[in-house]
Amino acid sequence: MRSGNEPDSPAQPDITSLIPLVRRVVGARVHEATVAEDLVQETLTRVLATAPRVEPGLLESYAIVTARNVVSSLWREQDRHRRNQHRVVDLRPPDPPDTDLLASEEQGAVTRALAQLSERERHLLLAHEVNGRDTRSLAGEQGSTAGAVAAQLNRIRARLRVEYLLALDNAEPPTDRCRPVLLALSGGDRRRQREVDAGRHLLECELCARLSSPLLERGRQGRDDEVCIPIHSDGDIVAARQAARELAARLGFSRTDLTLIATAVSEVARNIVRFAEAGEVVVELLERPRPGVRVVARDTGPGIADVEQAMRDGYSTYHGLGLGLPGARRLMDEFAVASELGRGTTVTMTKWRRR
Amino acid sequence: MSYDQDLMETASGTRTSSGGRSAGSGTGPGSDEDELLPQLVAHLREHRTKLRQEWAERIQSSGLLHAMTPQEMTAETTSVYDNYVEVLETGSVEALQRYARDLSERIIPRGVETHEVVGIVLLLRDVLARSLFEKYQRDFGMLNRVLDAYEPAANRIANTVAVSFVDERERVIRQQQDSIRELSTPVLPVRERLLILPIIGVLDSERARQLTEQLLTGIRTHRAKVVVIDITGVPDVDEAVADHLVRTVDASRLMGASVIITGLSPEIAQTLVTIGVDLSKMDTIGDLQGGLEEAERLLGFSVTRGDGVSGP
Amino acid sequence: MTPGPKLVSILRQGPYLIASVHTALDDTQMTRFQEDLIEQIGRHRSRGVIIDVAALDVLDSFATRTLRTIGEIARLRGARTIIVGIQPEVAFAIVSLGMSTGSLETALDLEEGLTYLDGPTWREPDRARAAR
Ligand SMILES: [Zn+2]
Repeated sequence: MRSGNEPDSPAQPDITSLIPLVRRVVGARVHEATVAEDLVQETLTRVLATAPRVEPGLLESYAIVTARNVVSSLWREQDRHRRNQHRVVDLRPPDPPDTDLLASEEQGAVTRALAQLSERERHLLLAHEVNGRDTRSLAGEQGSTAGAVAAQLNRIRARLRVEYLLALDNAEPPTDRCRPVLLALSGGDRRRQREVDAGRHLLECELCARLSSPLLERGRQGRDDEVCIPIHSDGDIVAARQAARELAARLGFSRTDLTLIATAVSEVARNIVRFAEAGEVVVELLERPRPGVRVVARDTGPGIADVEQAMRDGYSTYHGLGLGLPGARRLMDEFAVASELGRGTTVTMTKWRRR
Repeated sequence: MSYDQDLMETASGTRTSSGGRSAGSGTGPGSDEDELLPQLVAHLREHRTKLRQEWAERIQSSGLLHAMTPQEMTAETTSVYDNYVEVLETGSVEALQRYARDLSERIIPRGVETHEVVGIVLLLRDVLARSLFEKYQRDFGMLNRVLDAYEPAANRIANTVAVSFVDERERVIRQQQDSIRELSTPVLPVRERLLILPIIGVLDSERARQLTEQLLTGIRTHRAKVVVIDITGVPDVDEAVADHLVRTVDASRLMGASVIITGLSPEIAQTLVTIGVDLSKMDTIGDLQGGLEEAERLLGFSVTRGDGVSGP
Repeated sequence: MTPGPKLVSILRQGPYLIASVHTALDDTQMTRFQEDLIEQIGRHRSRGVIIDVAALDVLDSFATRTLRTIGEIARLRGARTIIVGIQPEVAFAIVSLGMSTGSLETALDLEEGLTYLDGPTWREPDRARAAR
C-alpha cells in the first residue's frame, strides 16, 4: 500500500485511511515489528478483497475484527508449533484420521444447517441444487416468476451458509441480533448491513466477528455480482434474460439498455437450446475498465463450422431463425465467438454503461 | 461476550483524528502531531528542490500526467509541493479544501483523470515519507512518532483531494450535460396526437440516444399518432448516428406512430443510402410546412404499417 | 397450459378477438399461443385480432417472428391482426436486433387498435412519393 506504485488506489481511498488504525490494533498485540507489518498487510489485503461486498460504514469495524482474527490465527499457529516441537523428527502433518473426522463433522454441520430451514425452503433448495430442476419449472410450481425464484434461492443459500457455520462452530448465537447481522453479511446485502448496524455488532460480538471472515471472503462461487443460469430448455431462456436484467439493473443501466441486454441474452441462450441442448449463461458485473455487464454463453454442443458465416445475416441452420448471433451482436458493444467442432461454442459479449 | 475496550478506543480515536483538526486545538489526541509537524515541515522545506525533483521523476516513471509538457509539470509540481507543505504546516481544513479545489480546477481542463490526481498525491506522500524515514532511521522511536504524525495528515490530504476532485469533475460534467440538454431538442406536442421534433445542431451518438428515448416515451405519453422529425438544422451525420435515426423511426412505427422526416439534406440522404436505407420506404417531405400539412392529412385516417427495416 | 397464473387470455368481442399476454412466455408457450389463437380465429370467423403485448419487457427474434406468423396466417383466414402496447424500449430493441417487421400492423394501445379495426382498411401510403 505504502509503495504508492498503484495509481489506481483512489477507488478505495478509505483503505489508505485504515492503515494507521490496523497498525494500532496489530501493534497492541504483536510487538515484533516485521511480523506486525506482515499482519497489517495481510489484514489490508483481506479487507480490500471484501470491500465491494460491505457497506462503506462497516469497513472500519471489519478491518478491526479482521486484524484481530489475523492476529489470533497467528497465535493458534504458534501454539500448534509449540505443541508439535517435541516431534521435530516427524514433521509429517498430523494423523489422517483427522481428515475423516473433519469430513464427518462437516457432514453433520450441513445436516444440522438444513434442519434450520423451513420445509418449503429445503424443498426448493434441494430441488434446484440436487435434483437439477430449473428455476422456470420451480416458478411454475409455485405460481411465481423465474427471477423471483432465483432471488429466493439466493436468500436461502445465504441462510444455509450462516446456519452451516454456526453448526460447525457448535455455537448458539449469544444475542438475537446475531442472525440478522450474519445474514446481511452472507448475502452481501449492503443496505441490510446498514439497517442492522452490522459494523457495531461485529465489534461487540466475538462470535459474529469470527464468522464474518468466512462469510465475506468466500470465493467466486455465490458472488452477488455474478449469476450462472444452466440452460437446458425453453424456460431457461426466459430465466437467463430475467436474471441478466435484474443484475444489470443494479449498475444503473438505462431502461433501453436493460432491454437490449435482456434481448441479446435471450438470443444467445436460444442458440444453446437449439444447437447444443445444454450449456450455461453467466452474467457478470464489471467494474473495470468501466462499469458494464459481461455475458458468457457456453455450450458443449457440436460447434459451429464456419463462425464467419454464422455471423452473417440470414444464415440459418434451423427452421426460421438466423438472427441469433448477428442480432445479439447488434445489441451489445462487444461481441466474440469462439467455437470448436465437436467441443462446443462460447459467446462472450459486453455492454458498457454510458455515463 | 467479549468486548475489546482498547479496540473501541482505537476505532473512535481514528474517527476523531480524521475528522478533527478543524477545531485547531493543540490538545487531545493530536498533540503529538502538533509538536512534530513543525519539525517535519522544516525538513520538507529544506530539501524542497531535491524532493520535488524526485517526485516529478516518480510521476513520470509511473506514466501519470503524460498530457502535460515538461514545463507545465515543473510549474505544477512546484506549486502543488509548496501548497502541500503549507497545508501540513497550518493543518487548517479551509486551507486544505482551498488547496484541493484549486488543484482540481487547474487540472481538470487538462483532461487529467481522477486516478492520476490521487496517484500523484499518493506519490508525493510516499516520497516525503521515504525522506522522513531516511532522516530518522537511526532513532526508531522517533521515526515511529514522526510517521504516526505524518501519516494521518498525509492521508487526510489525499482523501480531501480525491473527494474534491471527484466533486469538481461531476460539477463540470453536469454543467456540460446541462448545456447539451439546452441545445438538444424538446419533443413538441403541436396538437392532439401530433408531435414535432426539430433537431438543430450536431448529432452525436450520445445526443441521438437521448433523442430516441425522449421521442419514444413522448409518443406514449402524448399518445401520438404522427411524428414529424425536422432535421433541416442538422448539417451532417456519421453512419452510426444515421443508423440510430433509422432505428428510431422504425421503433416509432412499432409503437403505432407514423413518422415524417422533413429537411433531409443531400449529404444526410447520401449517408442513409450508404448504410443501406431504402429511402423510398421513408416518408420524407421537403420542408417542415409540407410535413405538417401531410401530418394533418394523415391524422384524418391512419393505421401504421411497420415498413421493413434496413436489414433483411 | 401449465397450472398456475394464466399466461394469456383470449376474449371475444363481437367480430374481433382480443388476446392479452400477461407474462413472459417461453418458446413452447409462445407456439402454443399461436396455435390457440389461430384455432379461435377459425372457429369464431373473426374479422380482426388485437394482440396486447404491453406486459412484455422483451420481444426477441422468436417472439417477433411468431407475431408476424400469426398476422400472416390470420390474413389468409380473412382477419387483420394488430399488435398493440409495444413498450418504447422493446420497440427499439426489436429494430436494433435487425428484425424485419414487414407485415406487422401496430397501434399504441387497445383503444387505438379497436379504432383501427373499426376504421377504413389500410391503404399503402402513396402520399409521400406524391409530395416529393
Ligand atoms: Zn453476534
